[in-house]
Amino acid sequence: MQKKRNIAIGLITCCLMAIGFFSVVLIKAHYQNKAEDAQEASLPNLIQLQLENDKLTKENEHLWEELTRLQAADSVAALASQQLEEANINACLVGMKGPGIRIILDDSKEERIAETGNYVIHEEYLRTLVNALWNGGAEAIAINNQRLTAHTEIFCSGSFIQINGTRQMPPYRIVAIGNQDNLKSALQFYYWDILGEYQQLYGITRKLETPEEPLVVPPAKAFTFKYAEPLKEG
Amino acid sequence: MRPLNKHVVTVATIAAIIIGFLIAVQIQAKEEADTAAQIQSKRLAQIKSVTESLKERNKQLQDIQDQLNEQIKNYTDESINNPFLINKLNELKMSDGTIDVQGPGIRLKIQDSGQNIDVLFPLNTDDLRRIVNTLRYAGAEAISINGQRIVASTSIVMSGNSTILVNSVPISKIGGTAYEILAIGDQTVLVDYLTNLEILSLKQVGMKVDLTREIVTIPAYKGGYSFEYAEAI
Repeated sequence: MQKKRNIAIGLITCCLMAIGFFSVVLIKAHYQNKAEDAQEASLPNLIQLQLENDKLTKENEHLWEELTRLQAADSVAALASQQLEEANINACLVGMKGPGIRIILDDSKEERIAETGNYVIHEEYLRTLVNALWNGGAEAIAINNQRLTAHTEIFCSGSFIQINGTRQMPPYRIVAIGNQDNLKSALQFYYWDILGEYQQLYGITRKLETPEEPLVVPPAKAFTFKYAEPLKEG
Repeated sequence: MRPLNKHVVTVATIAAIIIGFLIAVQIQAKEEADTAAQIQSKRLAQIKSVTESLKERNKQLQDIQDQLNEQIKNYTDESINNPFLINKLNELKMSDGTIDVQGPGIRLKIQDSGQNIDVLFPLNTDDLRRIVNTLRYAGAEAISINGQRIVASTSIVMSGNSTILVNSVPISKIGGTAYEILAIGDQTVLVDYLTNLEILSLKQVGMKVDLTREIVTIPAYKGGYSFEYAEAI
């Protein structure tokens, strides 16, 4: 009897040990799969490289164009004036004309009941829309005839928005020159929809115009550098 | 004697069933894991080889670009040697961002991940745009984010849910953890505006922020300008 009992206990112990062992193996196998999944993180890396290469290819095309133009220039004087002209255009110091879109944003005229912040146009709206327009391939942008340059701030200063050091009051007219379809589709993001909602709920103005006649974006004032210097070669 | 035997048999049967079940599951899981591992390793190998070829292409393109830039520089150096003109051109190029610049300024380093940093939401494109705007407001003459020069037409957008594009180029965090923003201008004003308007709120959400005054070099905008729709008046 005692012997049998011992055998039985031994058998059960063995079985339980086997069960434990298999459970551990199973759990381990499960977690190993998870660990391997993590290695897929190298995929973003790949996408980044691809994007970088696309960009480089495009840049090189531009450089080839420039080199070709340089070689084709008749004389030193012609080359110099051509370069100056281009640099002036790139630096936003020349007024531009072309097809594009116009966005008009204005504060609400309705009586402000609650959440009064939603009745007015904020600097953030302007900055976000402008960012979307640049991303959509805009070639020149102005807000209320203030040309946007590398140094343009769009900064909230109480009841007005400061742009290029000037006070701008609503309505805000954003004019962007570029491919009309691309610019319009660049606006198809949640921000634009939110402004649409605010238009319905609070009565702000959010208007998009795609006029057929060319739009005009004025030149900026020249920027004076006090601190920066061109990097010496070598 | 009888009852004990019965117990033993019952327990042994249940245990045997469980063991059998576990063995079956184990074999199945192993098979699945094996196939999964195979697919995984195949996929990894593919990604690796594509990455390799992309890297090679990247280097080639980089080389071509260097050569082109040198050629163009030779041309302009040779043909335009009037110092007055060169000065004017340089000034314009500083404005449009197509020349490397150097000057007194600030280096702003922001870490939103890494050791001892617990941030709920990482730094996003809104934050970066707001910082650029603040720097512009503080009169910065040149700005860059992780080596990308900020020009008029710079857009800062998300691509997917983790990659930030500046000038349509993905910026990876410096050293895998930090954003580095450089700006040239009046150091006192830059530090003052950044400290009061930006750094406080970034620190409040748990990011590690380092702001130093130094002489910085800011690289040129390499995207190039092209006007297909706009023409000069």
